[in-house]
Amino acid sequence: MSSAPWSLHLLGEVLSAFSVDSPTALRDVVSRVAEAVDAEITAILRHDSFSLCTGLTQDEKGRLLELVPSRSDRLVLEGTTYHLHWSPLGGDQLLVVGRANTAYDLEERALLRGMGRSIELSTRVLDAVRAQREALQAEKLAKEAAIREATIDHLTGLPNRRELLRQLRERLRRVAEDQGQQTVLFIDLDHFKQVNDLHGHRAGDQVLRVVADHLRAMTRAGDVVGRMSGDEFVMLCSLPAAADAERLATRILDALRESLQSQGMAIASAAASIGIAVAEAGDTPDTLLDNADMAMYAAKQRGRGRCARYLPSMREQLAERHRLEEELRQGLAGDQMRAWLQPIVSTAHGGVVGFEALVRWQHPQRGLLSPDRFLAVAEEADLLRDIDAAVLSDACIQVSRWQTSRKGLLPRLSVNVSAVSLADRRLHERVSRTLEVTGFPAANLFLEITETTLVDDLVSASVNITELERLGIRLAIDDFGTGYSSLSYLKRFPVGILKIDRSFISGLGGGSEDDVIVETVVKMARSLGLEVVAEGVETAAQVERLRLFGCHYLQGYLYGAPAAAEVSEARYRASLDAQLGMVLQS
Amino acid sequence: MTSASDTASRFPATSDADEPRRWVRVGCSSDRDPQRAVAEALAPILELGQPRLAVLFCSPAQDLRTVSSLVQQAIGDGELIGCSSAGELIRDHALSGGLLIWALGGPGFTVTTGYGLGNPDQGLRNAAAQAARCIEALERREHTLLFLLADGLCGDQMEVVRGAYDVCGAHVPLMGGCAGDDMALQSTRQIHEGTLLSHAVVAAAISSDAPMAIGIAHGWKPLSEPMLVTGSQGTTLISLDDRPALDVYLEAYDAPAEVRENPTAFFQFAHTRPIGIARRNRTEIRYVYSADYEARTLTVFAEVPQGAMAYLMQGSCSSVLEATAEVCALAEQDLGGLPARGFMLLECVARKSLLDQQGLLDASLRLPTVKEGVSVGGFYTYGEIARTEGAGGLHNQTVVALALA
Repeated sequence: MSSAPWSLHLLGEVLSAFSVDSPTALRDVVSRVAEAVDAEITAILRHDSFSLCTGLTQDEKGRLLELVPSRSDRLVLEGTTYHLHWSPLGGDQLLVVGRANTAYDLEERALLRGMGRSIELSTRVLDAVRAQREALQAEKLAKEAAIREATIDHLTGLPNRRELLRQLRERLRRVAEDQGQQTVLFIDLDHFKQVNDLHGHRAGDQVLRVVADHLRAMTRAGDVVGRMSGDEFVMLCSLPAAADAERLATRILDALRESLQSQGMAIASAAASIGIAVAEAGDTPDTLLDNADMAMYAAKQRGRGRCARYLPSMREQLAERHRLEEELRQGLAGDQMRAWLQPIVSTAHGGVVGFEALVRWQHPQRGLLSPDRFLAVAEEADLLRDIDAAVLSDACIQVSRWQTSRKGLLPRLSVNVSAVSLADRRLHERVSRTLEVTGFPAANLFLEITETTLVDDLVSASVNITELERLGIRLAIDDFGTGYSSLSYLKRFPVGILKIDRSFISGLGGGSEDDVIVETVVKMARSLGLEVVAEGVETAAQVERLRLFGCHYLQGYLYGAPAAAEVSEARYRASLDAQLGMVLQS
Repeated sequence: MTSASDTASRFPATSDADEPRRWVRVGCSSDRDPQRAVAEALAPILELGQPRLAVLFCSPAQDLRTVSSLVQQAIGDGELIGCSSAGELIRDHALSGGLLIWALGGPGFTVTTGYGLGNPDQGLRNAAAQAARCIEALERREHTLLFLLADGLCGDQMEVVRGAYDVCGAHVPLMGGCAGDDMALQSTRQIHEGTLLSHAVVAAAISSDAPMAIGIAHGWKPLSEPMLVTGSQGTTLISLDDRPALDVYLEAYDAPAEVRENPTAFFQFAHTRPIGIARRNRTEIRYVYSADYEARTLTVFAEVPQGAMAYLMQGSCSSVLEATAEVCALAEQDLGGLPARGFMLLECVARKSLLDQQGLLDASLRLPTVKEGVSVGGFYTYGEIARTEGAGGLHNQTVVALALA
């Protein structure tokens, strides 16, 4: 046993047990106090309750509390005498220490008072430090929340555009320092607008969340995926080669397609198009994203549901696309859309009975443009409704003039209506106004829609079609045979005409399957009281077969290509004259 | 190999009558076949009937899972706790790679057992408290004690005592040890009702009609002047008197060059050179088991609190032998004049190493103060628990004995 003083250092032991980081600091300190003086009982009391207590049972605690007013120096428990020492801890708190059998000597009493004072001061410091920490922590959390607020897209929980740009900037800095390659995948959902238009924004949001979850799951450690805006997502990847990016993009497309279809999401089968751009020295976040965006548009132009890598030539193509879009808007505003008319003739007498209106763009510099030059841009720019309306209007105006210039039979007019127009709840209003303004009779107007357009969104279509029916307008089902070929909607809607797709007409002759199909369709239509138009008729042999099957009307280059209204009018008048001559001869 | 029949014949149980009211009996085996080993170790115990409590100390070289399961099956309704060890000790000699079963029985004892799980991050205080709660279901007799076995490599061992004390309070002495793993220092196991645990504390609350007493001895003496622990964190001793702890340690013991750079040499060297912490009327020993040559720190099994007064300790084979010889007598003298029916002896593994090097291990277990026929059994530990007064009671490089009247 050493003769060295043993008590003074114990204050240091007790103080060193205080730790701001330990949630059990006070408990640890009290344990140290007990161990220092070989005490069995230690407690911190306030009024009639314990903050801490070791060494006593619940009943024994009550016995100790009874001694608080008297501050007795002894407590007898189970035949053992515990010598007590009471140290003030500041305020109304007391530190009580009890040791079996041996009373505290003067040095120990001084030590325990010192410990009490140390605990009091340390506890205050500890409380102050913890309060400060908590305040700092709260401030830190608030800052983090603010940053999160500013950097996270709330719908999907993915990083937003701002955060993506910040991370891309950082990654491009590493590329500049030759620390690896950076690839951007620009992911755009195909036909997403239709989801919102046809099913509402809630359905659209659900699609976006599903897509975000999938992209998040497919993101490798170290890579980032975020939502740029609308239906545009961007993935930032460190991939060793462009081919790896293409493989990743293909996996994403497959996964999205499978997932959206399996969940019954009403999004077109393509699901998404992805543009890939690999960073090069000098790229900024904006240029790299632009490149990926251009590649994405290229993927869309190639048929959607695929990926494309950025090529410098795409920049010029994009510029051209932007120019075309701008000119298209100007063209619509400047009344440059023209309805060209292709004749529809009667199988019975060969005379022209009507026309299909087909869009042409009379461009002031580029000349007359056929739809394949601008319809894709119009679709991307959401201009199809305007084009539909312009063609309907122009066709009705032109053909109505024929009536005013010469009394006689007015031809039937078939005008195409796209899916977005049919989904537009104001379609019937537009048509009604056009008929009102132009004076074209509703009974002579057929709106041509494809089977797919009709069946894919029966709810929206039903509303419009019901209203159109009230106006006396009938439907012509375009490309019949290539889609569902369902009979149910033929009965449900005011369908007046079936147009058999040109692919069946070109195969007529020689007892082919097409013969059987066309004959069956014609028979079925007749039995339902519908008229049939055969499209793409180009030969006399086809005419013979169609006449044999009982087809009512014929349309195709054999009877005339689409032509300007003036030419068509002349053609129509000539046909009327010819019919009149035939009647007179007979 | 020690056979059960040898053990039984050499150390027959003390009996009051045909059905002793309390008995303590020990059996052991070095057989590596689990069934034979368990049968051999249990044979002398089952002669006296089903034990109330069996405590299994088992080398990791044995199939612990099978052994503990077999023991539990064999003792039926008896309680079983145990742990992996760093050597098993029985009167007259020590085992290596064997197993030992220490058991008590008879209507004069009541026993409950429990366990608690901890982890290296949070330590074992809560685990010990959980294990100690078995005392709440104990049918109390006049004398009660809590026996603990803890993972010896899971945080600060002192927390085991604190956790058990939180539950048991001032009136229940604590005794026990920290499990070993034959000095691999990798992982230890604890056993409760035939189930193997790790990072755990298992406990048996024992109540008896007759006294139970604890003896503590170590035999170490201060080598250095007292020093202040100026830096420590958990079980890492950083500085003594504001100098790097490793430098102070090596200098004071005049450590050879190899010890100053070779961890294995240091480990061997430190076995016999513990640190002592000054307490009110005793010195608690702390086992130094590794050094960080870069940080110049020491690692010990239990905390050396910052602010404490510490000594570098020294001992000799003779002082260690003396401590082992006297510890049973120290315990027995607190039995109120009654003779001991058996002893549990828990001794630090470092002391074993010291004696083994000198060929004195078996000699250390002759225990001259223990009467012939009284059973003695225990194991070599990674830390010893003995709380009889105060709230502390964790020791290293110490021998503790539990005597049962």
